[in-house]
Parts: sequence; C-alpha cells; structure tokens
Amino acid sequence: MLVVNGLRATVGEKEILQGLNLTVNPGEIHAIMGPNGSGKSTLAHVLSGRDGYTVTGGSATFAGQDLLALEPEQRAHLGLFLAFQYPVELPGVNNTYFLKAALNSIRKARGEAELDAVSFLRFIKEKLKILHLDESLLKRAVNAGFSGGEKKRNEIFQMALLEPKLAILDETDSGLDIDALRVVADGVNALRSPERSMIVVTHYQRLLDYIQPDFVHVLAKGQIIRSGGKELALELETTGYGWIDAEGLAA
Amino acid sequence: MTDHALMSWLPPLAPAAPAWLATLQAAARAQVQTQIAAPDAEAWRYTSLNHLLEQGFVPIDETITALQPDDLDEVLIAGLDSRRVVFVNGRYAPELSATEALPPGVHLDSLRELLAHDPDAVRALLPAESATLPLFMALNVAGLDDGLVLRLDRAAILAQPLELIHLSIGLDQPSVAQPHHLIVLGDGAQATLVERYVSLGAAVYCTNAVIEIQLGRDAVLTHERLQTESKNAFHLSGLSLRQGANSRYQSVNLGLGSRWSRTELLTEFCAAHAECDLRGLYLAGDEQRIDYHLDVNHAVPNCTSRETFKGIIYGKGRAVFDGRVVVAKDAQKSDAAMSNQNLLLSPQAEIDTKPQLEINADDVKCSHGTTVGQIEPEKLFYLRSRGISAALARRMLCLGFADEIIHTLHSETLREHLSEQVGQRLESAPWD
Amino acid sequence: MTSTTAVNDLVKSEYEHGFTTEIASDTFPPGLDETVVRAISQRKGEPEFMTAWRLKAYRHWLTMTEPNWAAIDYPKIDFQAISYFSAPKRPEDAPKSLDEIDPILLETYQKLGIPLEEQKVLAGIAVDAVFDSVSVATTFRKSLAEVGVIFCSISEAVHDYPDLIQKYLGSVVPYTDNFYAGLNAAVFSDGTFVYVPKGVRCPMELSTYFRINARNTGQFERTLIVAEAGAYVSYLEGCTAPQRDENQLHAAVVELIVLDDAEVKYSTVQNWYPGDAQGKGGIYNFVTKRGDCRGARAKISWTQVETGSAITWKYPSCLLRGEGSVGEFYSVAVTKGRQQADTGTKMIHIGKNTRSTIVSKGISAGEGQQTYRGLVRIGQRAEGARNHTQCDSLLIGDRCTANTVPYIEVRTPTANMEHEATTSKISDDQLFYCRSRGLTEEDAVSMIVNGFCKEVFNELPMEFAVEAQKLLSISLEGAVG
Repeated sequence: MLVVNGLRATVGEKEILQGLNLTVNPGEIHAIMGPNGSGKSTLAHVLSGRDGYTVTGGSATFAGQDLLALEPEQRAHLGLFLAFQYPVELPGVNNTYFLKAALNSIRKARGEAELDAVSFLRFIKEKLKILHLDESLLKRAVNAGFSGGEKKRNEIFQMALLEPKLAILDETDSGLDIDALRVVADGVNALRSPERSMIVVTHYQRLLDYIQPDFVHVLAKGQIIRSGGKELALELETTGYGWIDAEGLAA
Repeated sequence: MTDHALMSWLPPLAPAAPAWLATLQAAARAQVQTQIAAPDAEAWRYTSLNHLLEQGFVPIDETITALQPDDLDEVLIAGLDSRRVVFVNGRYAPELSATEALPPGVHLDSLRELLAHDPDAVRALLPAESATLPLFMALNVAGLDDGLVLRLDRAAILAQPLELIHLSIGLDQPSVAQPHHLIVLGDGAQATLVERYVSLGAAVYCTNAVIEIQLGRDAVLTHERLQTESKNAFHLSGLSLRQGANSRYQSVNLGLGSRWSRTELLTEFCAAHAECDLRGLYLAGDEQRIDYHLDVNHAVPNCTSRETFKGIIYGKGRAVFDGRVVVAKDAQKSDAAMSNQNLLLSPQAEIDTKPQLEINADDVKCSHGTTVGQIEPEKLFYLRSRGISAALARRMLCLGFADEIIHTLHSETLREHLSEQVGQRLESAPWD
Repeated sequence: MTSTTAVNDLVKSEYEHGFTTEIASDTFPPGLDETVVRAISQRKGEPEFMTAWRLKAYRHWLTMTEPNWAAIDYPKIDFQAISYFSAPKRPEDAPKSLDEIDPILLETYQKLGIPLEEQKVLAGIAVDAVFDSVSVATTFRKSLAEVGVIFCSISEAVHDYPDLIQKYLGSVVPYTDNFYAGLNAAVFSDGTFVYVPKGVRCPMELSTYFRINARNTGQFERTLIVAEAGAYVSYLEGCTAPQRDENQLHAAVVELIVLDDAEVKYSTVQNWYPGDAQGKGGIYNFVTKRGDCRGARAKISWTQVETGSAITWKYPSCLLRGEGSVGEFYSVAVTKGRQQADTGTKMIHIGKNTRSTIVSKGISAGEGQQTYRGLVRIGQRAEGARNHTQCDSLLIGDRCTANTVPYIEVRTPTANMEHEATTSKISDDQLFYCRSRGLTEEDAVSMIVNGFCKEVFNELPMEFAVEAQKLLSISLEGAVG
C-alpha cells in the first residue's frame, strides 16, 4: 500500500530524513519510535504534503501513485489521513460544515455521490457513538477552545468519518492523561480493519499497550535503524534511546 | 466656492420651510462650505474624494412611483420575519412598505410628511443647534428632504424587527439621495432595526444617508446595517447616536457592496451605565474602496463600549479603518476595547488602519488591538489534509474569520443570507 | 535690519581676530538670516561645501511651516528672537555658588548621588578647575583609534573627514524633511560623529562618558553615526541629571547609517529641565532621529527614556531597506506637571523579510499630556515583513492625558502586523498589596511603574538602566495622591 524508498528530506539547510525505507501493507499497524528530533514528525509531514520540507531524494508510492507529486488534498482523496500532533484551531469554522466539506470532497474525488444533509447527519451521528463524543461537538468551531484530549478525540473522529486507507497518527498520545489515552486508543482500535493500515508515530511505548502494532521501527538520524515486532517497543522501554548514539557511531 | 461639486448636491431651500429649519440648514451649509475651504486632512488622509466628485451627482426631486411590490422580490431576504419601510432613491415609498398593525406606542412617519403636517414634532427631535458634523453628514442636513421618523414611547416594544430598506435605482443622470432618519426610543423602549442598502440594476448613483438615534434610559436597540449595493454605487452613511442612562445599543455593520463607500459612526454616552457594542465586517474586493470612521465618546463615567471590526481585502480592494475612542476628563470607570483585524489576500490589496485612544481620565480600562495578516498556512494545510481543495479551504477560513461578526446578527435567516453573500463574493476573489 | 548689521560687524571683527581665537563672550545677537548662517559656518571655519549646504537648507527652511499636527500646545516661537550662536557663558555671568541654584534641582542631584563638583557644572556654576575631561577623552580616543573607530565632534569631522561628511550628512534626514530638521541643518551648532569601519565591533559603549560632556553642544545638536558592513556600535546619549539650559528651543537631528550585517544601538536618556510647576522655563525639544538600514540584515535599535523637557516632539525612526533588516524602538516617556510629549516612531518596511518591534510605555501624571504617535508602513515589495507593536499607557491622577495614535499602512499580503495598546492606572489592589507588605505608597508606585517599564529598561546598557530606574522613581515622587 505504502512504499517509501530511500526518502531524503531537508528543512532549510538541514537534512532530517536521510534515506528512509518503509513498506506498509494493507491491514498492518506500524509503530515508528525514536528520540526527539529523529525525524518522526517530519516523516508524517512529508508523507501528508506539508509545506516547509524539501524532498531531496528517494520516493514514496501510495496506492500505486507517486505520493510526493500530489497536493495534500489529493493525498487525502487517495485515502491518506494524518492525525495531527497539534490539531489546528479554526475559529468561526463550524465543525459540521467542515466535516461535510471534507467528506464530500473525498467522495467526489472517488466518483461517489455526495451525501445530502440528512444522510450526512445520520452517518456522522453513528460515528460519534464510536468515539463516545457528544453531539454538541458538531455545533462548535473546529478545535477552537477544545481541551487537549478533545482535540485528539476529534482527530480520531475525523478519521472514523473519512475512512482512510492509511492513517498516520502523529504523537497522538502526547499531552493525554491515561484516561484520555484509553478513549483515543479504543477509537483507533474500533477502526482497525484488514483494509486499513496505520502508522503510529510515538515517543513512548505506553500508547502501544493500547494499540498493538504488528511492526515496530526505530527511527534515528533520519533512518530506520532497527525493525522488529512489538517486543522491540518493550525493549526500548527498558533501554531507552541512549544506545542509539553508540550504535550509530559503530554503524 | 458655491460652484464646488458638493454644493450642487444641495437642492434649493424649500420656500415653505419653517424658519427654524431654514436656520438649521443654513448652518449646516455654512459648515460644508467651511470644510470644503479647509478640508480636514486627517479625516481624509487615506481616501480621495476625486472619484466621487468626478461623477457629477445631482439631487433629483422626484418620487419614483413606477415600482410594484414584486419588484422588491429580488432584494427581499426570504424567510426574514420583519415589518418593512422602503425608501426609493431617498423618498418614502408607502406602496412598497409593510408596516401594518404597529404595536401601541410605536409611531412611524415619513420625515417629509411630518414636516408638512407637524413640523414642531420634527423640531422636537432635532438637536436645538447644529453640532459640528463631518462633511457629508453636514451636507445631508443642509439638503434635508425625506427619511424615516420612528418614535417609540416609554416602554414601547417593537418585537418584530423593522427593516429599513434603501432601494436605489439608476436614473438618466447620476443622482444623489440624502435620506435623513430619526430614531427615538423612549425610556425602557426596545426595538430591532435592520437597515439595508440595496440596488436595483447596476447604474451609478450615490446615497448619502444619515441616521440619528436617541436612546432613553434603559432603552435597548439592536441595529443591523447591511450594505450590499451594486459595484457601481457610491455609498456614504453617517450614524449619530446618543445614549441615555443604562441604555444598550448593539450594532452590526456589514459593508460588502458599492465601489466607493464611507461610513461614519459617531456615538456619545450622555448618562452613566450605558453600553455600546459596535461590530463590523467589511469586504473590499476588486477596485472597491471601503472606509470606516468611528468616533466613540465616553463623555460620562461608568459606560462600556466595544468596537470590533474585521476586514477581508482582496484583488485591488482598499480599506480604511479609522477608529477613535475618547474618554472625557472625569469619565472614570470607562471601559472600552477596540479591535480591528484584517486579512489581506492579494498583492494589490491595501489596508490603512488607525485605531486611536484619547484618554483624559485615569480610572479607565481601555485597549485596542489591530492585526493585519493572511490565512495561516497551518490552517490551510489542515483543511487540505482532510481532502478539501485549496480554493474551498481559503473560502472556509475567510468565512470562519467573518463569522465572529456575522454570527451576532439577530436572526438565523440573516446569518445564513449574509454568510452566503460573503461566500459568493469570495468565490470570485482572485487569490494571487 | 539692525540685527544683520550687528552680525556683519561681528563677523568682520571676528575676521580680524582670526578663526582660532576663542572669545568667551562670543554670542550672536538674536535673529536669523543668510548672514547669520554664513557667520556660523565661518565662525566654525567650515569648508565651502558646508556653507553652501547650510545656505540651501536655510533657503528651503524659509518655505516651510511649523508642523501643527502634534497634540502639543505652546506659545508661538519667535525664531528671530533666538540667538543662533553662543559660546559658553562668561564665568562672571554664571551663578557664583550652589546657594543661588533652585533647591529642588539640588535635591535631585543629591538623590541621584552626583558628586558636588559635578553638581556645580550641571547647574552652570563657574568652577575654577573643570574636570580633566580632555585627558579622559584622549585616552578614550586612543583605544578607539587602534581599531579604526572615529569618535569626535561633528565640527572636527567636517575638517578632518570631509569626504565622509559629504557622503553621509543629510543623507538620512535631508534638510527638506521637516521644519526643525531644516532649521537644524542651517544653524546646527555641534554634535557627534561616529564612524565604525567594516567588520569592527566597537570595543566600548560610546557615551557621554562624563555626565557633563553633553553640555554646550548647543541647542541645535547634530549627530551622525555610520556603521559599515558587519560593524557594531552602542551609543549612549544624554544624562540622567536634570540639566539647566538657557536655550529654550532644542532642535536636534540624529542620523544613523547601517550597512550589511551591521548594528547600531542608540540609547537616550533625556532629562532636560521640564520647567517649574507652572511649566515655565522648560525646554522645547523638537528632535528628528532616523536610522537607515541600507544593508541586508542591518539592525537599528532605539531605546529612549524621556523624562524631561516641557515639550517633547520626537519620533526615532527606521528605514528598513535592506533585506532582512531589523528595526526596534523601546521607549519610556514620563509626563508630569505641565509636561507635554508627542512621541513614538516610524517603521518603514521597504525590503523583504524586514522586521520591527515597537514597545512604548507612557506614564502620565499630574497634568501631563502624552501622545504615542507611530507609523508602521509595509510597502508592496516588503514581502514577509513583520511588525509587533505594544503600546501601554499608565495614568496617575485624574488630570492627565494619554493618547495613542498609531498609523498602520499595509500593502503586501505576506506581511504580518500586530498592534496592541492598553491604558490603565495602577490598581488600588496592587497598591494595597504592596503597602500591606510594608512599602510606602511612593515606593509601591515606583516599584509598579518600574515593573511596567521593565521591558524597555532591559534594553538599556546595565549602568544606564540602573540610573534610569532611579531617575524614574525620582520623577514620579509626589505624583501620587
């Protein structure tokens, strides 16, 4: 589904991704872990098409298309979804309006009929239940004045609504207390399916207690330096990231 | 000096005018002449009058009677629950108005008729001596012709909103209409007034309206002013507001239309514990010039004012915001907060903003904040990452920006109507 | 034209004595015309180009009118009643001892901890042994010369560095700029010239290293600072002690020229005599200060603490021409008694990615009248320009005034401009809190006001900051209650 090959990307003068390889097949959950500044968020941003990064080498293919050549909305149309680490507040932009515009844009791009107001509302209320979210959410402006937990839940809610093929969860656990984390993780687990893949970007192992990954990768200095099963995450929990420097030197 | 283009806006004085009116108008005329001779450079720092003066506007002494009620269809807002008073080119049009069954204590008249039948009633409503007015408000008084006189007796309530529609249609000659409205709410009276400026057709004309409002003690007025005239219209309007003790005035000023417009809002607190909330949204698109001037006078202690204006400027649009809050000596416990935020969307768009505070008392809470910026890239990216096209995302974000003002309109119908109007205008906005 | 005749006579007699002889009593009679302008130039032994420039300025000045847009009120100045050249006072005309000096002034000196000898000089008393300022200056200059920094009076610079003067003088503030700048160009008495060559970081703060050094530069001071590419200099102007001056009108001009990657930091403490309780006798301070960031990444930082003068009219400005250049303005202004100040800045963004910061703290007490007047203009080519303005006024007492008049003009959609302003008084709660902890009301006010100004004081060089705080406290004494 996603094939990243030798990806290199810079921010300004600085090379953040230095030849990254990653393959994600349908239904798989990949965790990407690593210390601060290793390039985890950069990877998420480059894949979803955020400005400010220059791709200097390598490729990323998603659903058979050259992902890097596409506009952010085209990537979304193809089924890519980024759950933001810091969801953006959009004061004055009504949530329902926003969600409907997003869903219908994607449906339209896929050649599906746009949902009318009634069926949209029915659809959306169904999804609210999955995340145990209150309907009042729909009347509010997108993320404006939301608590940290509410914002993250709203991200997962959007994911439920837009039904992506590949979801990238960028440090979704950051800033969440354990209860909120559980709610978010339950939401994510409810959305697992054999057709849907996920990349879970995180600094800590604790999120992976709730979202069990199929693969764990360690990202350091812009490359994946180790890959393994979920036991790798537990190992990292005990060893921390200190060993990377030594190993990095040896390599 | 008498052959200055603006002097030709004035019709000859009506021979039958009562002496007091003639005196008032002569004084206003003298003010106009003084200001033409020595223009107030600061008031006109960012706006040139040339374009307006070139048009050669003249007053037309003609009541348009050819319009039928269904001609109004294209300007009425479907579903808006209101009574309405219609002025066509500045003259009252009873056949287009709908003012049946006014509640007790609410009096509605045409200024022209009231002057003819009961001039003393008008005299009682006008200020005894003419204060120094901005140029075009003085010009309006000098050319006083018709307007709405709305009086609410003590404790009278006009629950259903009153729509005051200024309908303009082009004549063979570029014409100027100068309606002058008098709104007086007695103690404890309440009303909602929706003032609208609309065009039929796309002819070049000018409206120079003045609305004088007096609020008695505890009176509450909601005043929504919607200017959606055609792109060939020239628009001038002046508000003069005087508030009694504990009165509340809330207004929303939307400036979306016209080629060239200038709005002056002059407010004064006359007794303590009054509140004044002025909100505004302006859109200046291609070749549009939009100019707002606020003069908020905290003349007495313990009053609160809020001035919140937002602008979206695109294409070759140009907007001016000149807001001034004055706290008089001894007007302690004054509380004023002015804010002006602007989105500048294209390289040839221009904004000049001048938010001023003039504070002559110490125990006050006054602030102002101004920003000029553009759509934040993070917000745009967020929307696009959800599959929304860049063009739609920009429009959504602009509407979101505008919503802080639009959502304060009193009715859902109006809010939807205006959101749509703003959305439509932005749809044709060039983004680069 | 009797005054012209008088000046002519004077110039003639001057001629007999030659230029090098200093005459202690050398003061022109009041009045201004071309003869006076020529006489000033001759008296200072200036080259022809300077005389010509002064005359052009004078002729242009005649066509100009006094600005009237500022929120200040003062009796009309009779420019013919002023003497445009005066050498130091004759010792016999000066007060003989401190006993003859306004006791309030002396009290202030004591509070500031100014040594007795210095107090005498500041008060204009004839002292036998003046400080050895010459030798101080010499040592000072020597170490500067080692790194190639020129630091001298502008009169000396006209003689010694005519090329630099011709190249830069009037290039930022032309004599056509405004009425007072025009007048200054015609009749400027003296001032300072600083030149920092390429890549040199000036090894010390250039300052009026002696409190009294700034005296006798006259009422029409002119300062020119040039920082070549990569240079850095910090210049301190003024003095915290209140200075008496016989000249009521001061119209100074300061020009800064900053090239690629260079930085000039210009700090001012202005504490001219504000006049007595009725506002009589105070200084009128009409200053034009402007810096030109001509090079890429050039930086100008203006910091001012304005507590003196009866009238202040002053807008230190930055022309941000070079790509990525930076302008800063930090200001504390105090008006009390009958003082009036109309002050602020102009940030003109011309180059791409230029940035400016404005922090203005106004304190108005008594019957003081204060206006912040500022312009932020972001031109069409100033892509990515940024401005942040914070403008706060503190009012003490119910008879003072604080106005805020910002002009904001933006012409590019990639610019970001934020302006915030607040007006408030010291809250009773704040005062009570401090007093319940044992502070006197005056100390509490002083503490709160100093806190209010912290952001600006932080920008001052250390020693100056300490003095400025002390000065602020003294200025506000008696302002409460």
